[in-house]
Amino acid sequence: MPYATILIVSLVLFSAALITVLVARPGIASTRGGKILAFMILFFLPVLCGAIGVSSEMERSTTTAFCLSCHTMEAYGKSLRIDDPGHLPAAHFQNHRVPPDKACYTCHEDYAMFGTMKVKLQGLHHVWVYYFGTPPAPGEIKLYQPFNNRECLHCHLGARSFEEGAMHTADPETLPAIKANTLSCMSCHDTVHDIAHLKDAKFWKEKQ
Amino acid sequence: MIARTDSIEKRLQIAGTLVIIGLVVEALCLIWGQPISFVIFVAVGGLFLFAGVVLFLFSLVSIPHAHD
Repeated sequence: MPYATILIVSLVLFSAALITVLVARPGIASTRGGKILAFMILFFLPVLCGAIGVSSEMERSTTTAFCLSCHTMEAYGKSLRIDDPGHLPAAHFQNHRVPPDKACYTCHEDYAMFGTMKVKLQGLHHVWVYYFGTPPAPGEIKLYQPFNNRECLHCHLGARSFEEGAMHTADPETLPAIKANTLSCMSCHDTVHDIAHLKDAKFWKEKQ
Repeated sequence: MIARTDSIEKRLQIAGTLVIIGLVVEALCLIWGQPISFVIFVAVGGLFLFAGVVLFLFSLVSIPHAHD
């Protein structure tokens, strides 16, 4: 368990212990000082614990391990280790073009205003379907909308390999079209999470 | 006067119990760390925390004055 989680759980349990004392001896709150103490224990601490807890859970929901903890996502996790530089997610994951511990979130985040809130709501919908609905087979999972170039350009815009790449500059209309999202990055970089051919794939074994 | 104090103490105890339940649910969810734990944390833990805190605040503002 991460140290941050241990600290938060300790704070939560400490707060619960203080409240237990107040519940056992409510007479403490009869004086002016006791009322202030009761306010700190029964309002300030629970609100603080709730806010820190939500923040911690939100942060954890951005990790690769969190996404891959759902059985439906196992194949997508395996596709990150395909030993093929032409496989887009694998090349990004293995070469640390995205943080490996936040690989899913980095590419599937919505880099627009309120984008984080939007993807969190979609994530809650995924959790709901996983536990209370009928999750689709891994091969049938589709994006809500076609992948927006904005997510790629968040990192690649301005990078030399992108701005001066031979394929990107061969036609002067290509770069503006990519930047305007009228020409999808996926139209050329089209090998993405090829889970249908996982059984034939060779996998990269990370050196410990 | 005694009845008034008893009423406040009773509300404090109920509010405190609700908040304790909420905090225990929060602690368990943080330790568990599965995707469903976030939903339980918000839906169950959050509900108890909210109810406890609101009841506590309500008990503060609804205390009748001694001369009433």
